[in-house]
Amino acid sequence: MSAPATPLLRPPRNRVDPRARRWWTVQALLTVSGPALLTALALAVCSVLFFPGALPWLGPLLLVALVLPALGYLLVMPRWRYAVHAWELGGRAVYAANGWFWQKRRIAPLSRVQTVDTVRGPLQQRFGLATVTVTTASTAGDVKIAGLSDADAEELSRRIGEAAQAVPGDAA
Amino acid sequence: MSAAAPHAPGTPARWHRLDRRTLLVHCGWMAAPLGSFALTALATGGRIETGAWITLAAIAGSFAVLTVIGLVRWARTDYRVTHDSFEVRSGVLTRRLRSVPLHRIRTVDLTASPLHRLLGVTVLRAGTAGSSGGGAELSLEALTTADAERLRAALLARADAAAAAEDPVISRINWRWLRYAPLTFWVIGGVFAAAGGVYRALDGAGIKPWKLSIVRSAFDEFGAGALWITIPLALLAVLVLGTVGALVLYVEGWWNFRLEWTDAHTLRVRRGLLTTRSVTIERGRLRGAVLREPLLLRAGGGATVRAVAGGLGNKEENRKRSVILPPAPRTEAVRTASGTLRAAFPDAGLHAHPKAALRRRRTRGLLLVTLPGTLVLAFLGLLLTPVLLHCAWAFALVSAVVVLWLARDAYRSLGHGIQGRYLVARSGTFSRDTVALQREAIAAWTFSTTPFSRRTGLVTLTAAVAAGEDGYHVRDLAADGAPALAAAAAPGILEEFLDHGGHSGHGERARHVPAYGQEDSGPGRHRKPLSTHALHRNRDDLDMT
Repeated sequence: MSAPATPLLRPPRNRVDPRARRWWTVQALLTVSGPALLTALALAVCSVLFFPGALPWLGPLLLVALVLPALGYLLVMPRWRYAVHAWELGGRAVYAANGWFWQKRRIAPLSRVQTVDTVRGPLQQRFGLATVTVTTASTAGDVKIAGLSDADAEELSRRIGEAAQAVPGDAA
Repeated sequence: MSAAAPHAPGTPARWHRLDRRTLLVHCGWMAAPLGSFALTALATGGRIETGAWITLAAIAGSFAVLTVIGLVRWARTDYRVTHDSFEVRSGVLTRRLRSVPLHRIRTVDLTASPLHRLLGVTVLRAGTAGSSGGGAELSLEALTTADAERLRAALLARADAAAAAEDPVISRINWRWLRYAPLTFWVIGGVFAAAGGVYRALDGAGIKPWKLSIVRSAFDEFGAGALWITIPLALLAVLVLGTVGALVLYVEGWWNFRLEWTDAHTLRVRRGLLTTRSVTIERGRLRGAVLREPLLLRAGGGATVRAVAGGLGNKEENRKRSVILPPAPRTEAVRTASGTLRAAFPDAGLHAHPKAALRRRRTRGLLLVTLPGTLVLAFLGLLLTPVLLHCAWAFALVSAVVVLWLARDAYRSLGHGIQGRYLVARSGTFSRDTVALQREAIAAWTFSTTPFSRRTGLVTLTAAVAAGEDGYHVRDLAADGAPALAAAAAPGILEEFLDHGGHSGHGERARHVPAYGQEDSGPGRHRKPLSTHALHRNRDDLDMT
């Protein structure tokens, strides 16, 4: 390093596709929020039908334990994620930021790249999105860029492939 | 008397005697028979039978003989450190002079039994490389602790660390290390694991253990006896069983243990009694070493060593196969790690982490242990019985003290540094791990944060290597120092993503960490159709380099 002052890691330059927010919302609905809300609803209905006396304490409990967290996750997570997720392909390394509550910024040099995978899940296909995973020999060094548009993903994986070829590799 | 410092060549070095208290140490084993005699006398109220008098006479006789032997041995044993060797002269009839070249000395081990400690003396053993098991070891029965420390320093001052790295045999089993065997999980956990295993085996065979008459009668007796005596006895039994189990496992696992370089490129570990294990590690795939000090073992001054190497199988296999030293004295562990790295293991001079890391550990412990435990106990206490309320505040108090102590220990363990070819990181309290990682092996960097760590300016840096556990963490670094550390440790990875305008301070950190929830944060971030525009820009970057 050459800088006299303490250098700081800037965020990656490029954001992921804005449609990723919708993808994450649907994902949240299917995996966490939806089931939680359904459970709360089912419990509430059961309570109304069979144990009306339980409602005064069950209602607030469900609200606090299931409904609010589910809604919070549904509303907050996709936006937060979108604010965090970013990527950049540099001359010698690929750089990605992801996560929301727990955030990760990972930089892997192109000389270590082993494979570039582009994955489109069923949900992602609906939104025209893709995930590019750059693998290295170490599982702790795999760079994952989720929520790119199809075209970007294709272009990116092609360019990482080319760049990895161009940079003398020591992908051991 | 004072221990010798290495002498200048030319002048003959002076011989030194052992401490006089050696004699007392020799008489130490008389304590048991004398004690039992005294107890007999007490129990019989002083009316001692002839048989007992004969025993006493025999004891007195052997006492006298031992004292004389000890006296002669003490008088006839001396040692000195000349400019190039450590010499011990001993023997009553046959005089024996043993001399070890100073540069061959690898370990100097000081041990003191409770008796030694009572007398303020200690046993010094100087071992040479690869011979720690047997004959080529010099030991001095009793030196005052200060003398022993001085002598150790004098001996090790000349021990050549580079030579240690050259020696093909790095380490061999030394059965004195057995004392570290009980300081492992197996003491308590092993017994319960074994009991669980037996239960499952019986259950699998269709036998309900609690229906066996032996078990039932044992339980009945247990319940019928006075609990204040049966419960400690049961615990003692578990402890003894666990200790025996730990010793057996240690012996089985580390019989004939030998760690050596079979040639310039191959490190080999061989060990095992019933199952013999042999693991070879190619030098090119050896990426570092980890010095592990689990809490108990650390309290006993011990440590184990693991190799960070590629190609040892999956995670589970890697955990078993990467162990290259059993629980052993810490000095031995450091020496072994150095021999494995072929460089001095960077054990000291690590940089401390910010105080925020200490606060984080305290908060985490209190929030995750003290608070929930207390709340649960208090809640149950309100519902069921007031006894639990007392349990609740007692738990709050005790667990808070323990948590704060552990947090302080965990914080003190934290450290990192770049030393030579290695990145060094230390962390952990239940297992304090010091990892030395080859800098050129680092394949990627990860900076991990949580909202709390971002607010307090901490970041965990993870170095990815294609070996061992894949990712090795430098936990809770100062956020504004982490990129510089990463760039210095493994140049050529993240420089192009660094912002060099930094002057340190909070404003800078605010810019460094994007403002969450805001749509447009960070300079130069392209929203929307990033696509070709962004890619072309990047391509320009690429062409420029």
